[in-house]
Amino acid sequence: MAMDSSYGDEFAVGCFLSIKTTLGDEFEGQIITFDKLSNILVLQEGSKTGPRRNIRLLKANYIKDFTLLGQAEDPLDHKKCYLDLASLQAREEAAIRQAELEAVRIGVGVTSEAQSVFDALSKTLPVHWDKTVIVVMNEVRVSSPYLPENVIGGTPAANDRVKKVLEFERKRLHARGPSQ
Amino acid sequence: MSLQQVVAPRSSSNGFGRRRVEREMGTRLDSKPQSGKPNTISFTNAGALNGGEVGGSESLSRDRLIYLTTCLIGHRVEVQVKNGTIFSGIFHATGAEKDFGVILKMARLIKDGSFRGQKSLFDSTSKPPSKTLIIPAKELVQIIAKGVPLSGDGLANGLQLEKRQDIMIDTLISQSHYVEVERELERWTPDEDDPQLPELENIFDGTWNRNWDQFETNEALFGVKSTFDEELYTTKLEKGPQMRDLEKEASRIAREIEGEETQDLHLAEERGFSFHEDFDIDEETRFSSVFRGLDDSGYEESEEMTFGSRNTEGFGGSSGSVISRSFSDVARGKSNDGAQVSSSSSSMDDTQSSQSNASKDLYRSSSSDHTKQLTSDSVSKSLSALNGESRLSENQFRERHGGKGYPTESAEWKTLLVGEEAHTSKSEDLQSSVNMKKAVSDKGGLSSSATAFAPSSVSSKGHENTILGESSDSTGSGKLSGATQAVNSRGRPGSSTSSTSECVGAPSASAGLGLSPSSSMGSLSSEKSSLNPNAKEFKLNPNAKSFTPSQTTLRPPSPVSEGSFYFPANMSAVPHMHGVPVGIGIAPSFGHQPVIYNPQATPMQAPQAYVQPNGPLYGQQMILGHPRQVLYMPNYPPEMPYKGREF
Repeated sequence: MAMDSSYGDEFAVGCFLSIKTTLGDEFEGQIITFDKLSNILVLQEGSKTGPRRNIRLLKANYIKDFTLLGQAEDPLDHKKCYLDLASLQAREEAAIRQAELEAVRIGVGVTSEAQSVFDALSKTLPVHWDKTVIVVMNEVRVSSPYLPENVIGGTPAANDRVKKVLEFERKRLHARGPSQ
Repeated sequence: MSLQQVVAPRSSSNGFGRRRVEREMGTRLDSKPQSGKPNTISFTNAGALNGGEVGGSESLSRDRLIYLTTCLIGHRVEVQVKNGTIFSGIFHATGAEKDFGVILKMARLIKDGSFRGQKSLFDSTSKPPSKTLIIPAKELVQIIAKGVPLSGDGLANGLQLEKRQDIMIDTLISQSHYVEVERELERWTPDEDDPQLPELENIFDGTWNRNWDQFETNEALFGVKSTFDEELYTTKLEKGPQMRDLEKEASRIAREIEGEETQDLHLAEERGFSFHEDFDIDEETRFSSVFRGLDDSGYEESEEMTFGSRNTEGFGGSSGSVISRSFSDVARGKSNDGAQVSSSSSSMDDTQSSQSNASKDLYRSSSSDHTKQLTSDSVSKSLSALNGESRLSENQFRERHGGKGYPTESAEWKTLLVGEEAHTSKSEDLQSSVNMKKAVSDKGGLSSSATAFAPSSVSSKGHENTILGESSDSTGSGKLSGATQAVNSRGRPGSSTSSTSECVGAPSASAGLGLSPSSSMGSLSSEKSSLNPNAKEFKLNPNAKSFTPSQTTLRPPSPVSEGSFYFPANMSAVPHMHGVPVGIGIAPSFGHQPVIYNPQATPMQAPQAYVQPNGPLYGQQMILGHPRQVLYMPNYPPEMPYKGREF
């Protein structure tokens, strides 16, 4: 399927390309389609494992450089291409719901270090944000800079518990990612 | 594949929504983007959308693009814009034909490409995700999506996955956006200095003589002394001169029983019989699932014992019919007295052994197992036998059982036992005997459970069966009587005497060479004396409803070790724990209500899972599994001592 474009045959469906973008990304993929009108190239990346693929849509004017690696057959199987709009909608709704749940877990105006502390605590304790304060079990508050000394409130037992968990998680965080 | 109106691009603010609708419809119509005709049709529908395109390769590529972008709807994608910034969000819609703008929902900034974003992300503060983010076509560089289902089956699978995600599986709960830096994984290589690698295939062979005692090791390594004493949990074995004989007899009977054929899948599996009948059974049914469809009801409430009238399915199916038939047989009084007595005593034994295991599940399996073997004669025999006073004593036991608190199993058993009514009618007897059997069945390990069934199945063969039934009781001589006695002592101090006498009677009877009905008679008569003359009769209620466990039935978790609970003396504030109702089976005196802690928490308490408005869902298991959880039981004063099991 030759495309009548300035790019010639290189953008035929099924071709394997190695591309460098003007923003510095490099990747390889197989062309699924190229739309001249919008100038968008759709690539499939990774090996073909089942119905799920990694897709990349790239605006062709950001291609700095590319090489043709080879040619293969059309990665899309026409017979199987149909859409269930209802399920797409459902998927979107579910994803939005999920994202909303997750959004609450993200503190606003907190550093990512604080966020990682929050995430670590949330693995075993019920936590939620109150501005920039982590509230554990609805009674223990951990404020910036989220050190064991900053654990305030709650019953002695709960407080101790949170302190211990916090210490432990911090140790783990530092052991794992000092570069962060 | 549904042919629905597309509603998706509703938020498209620049008026492209409508066209998008039509475009998607067009996509839907063509399953084959290459076919010429539908192509043009779709595009005429879209009006002047692709005015310039007259089919051919360009519209085909266009179609593909449309198809692919439609596949992305609802998927989480990353969009890179001109300045290098990357947004992550849920793909919602794209723009019109010429430009390719993108609309994302719940978008977050992942990577800031601008100059000021070059400093460490670690320190920069985060912003809340935008509900809707519109990226103009001019800014768009690329869109990256991972794991997009492209073809039809992929979509179907995708939907399944979405549905499952709503069920909050473990991995979802434990997921977090913070991706921890994992260690570099290395391939496992066996240690150099470990010459003796145990073969994994035969890991379960010879478990008894491994030359490794876990208790010794534990003590050596951690100084933990094991305080296990078998006699704390079961009756002391009398190590008398008769012991050896009894043991031999017991193992003989055990072998016999275990070698019996059975229709029950699980029992057959245990005994090593291959089940030839039906190879369509899946793994779950073969190895793990509980047989349902029958007899779930009888266990919950006494009024619901609808033995004969119950609607049976599956394996239990035949048993129901058999039993109802037996009822009629009994009613006709087919049995003879001699057999009655012996089978009655054997059913007595059943009762006792069954008291140690109260589970309906096994009932089903065993009933299916044995009821099929039950001929009308044998059943009627045992049935009429139940008419005897042994029945009364059984009921009496039940009464006593019923009176006190119990662990969950026993509680079920109690209801199973028909509350406080002793009944002498035949139908009832059958029911209770079957119930006994039910109970007996479950503790799989206990050979006596299988043993207990022996009487019913065996009795079909005649008198010697009852003898076997007797000996089955003695089989345990160690075990069964021990178990039953243990149950008795555990259960009710009051009633132990009579049951003990019963049990003792049996072993002694079997100790003698022949277990004769007379010996059982003897034990039976001793039973007689301690019956409660004031016991009420059980009346079978044919109209009682069958119990079917609903999907949301909370299964009380297995009793947690005592160390996990403690009542802090002065818990001033209520810790904000998830209000997960924990049905603890070890609080008998508290009745059978689930212990819901933290009632003062926010009103959002679902019976199954507590959903924090701003936090993740925690499954029930998560709470229980955490040994150091602080539990505040608001229903009870903090100073109430935790006595453990109370019987």
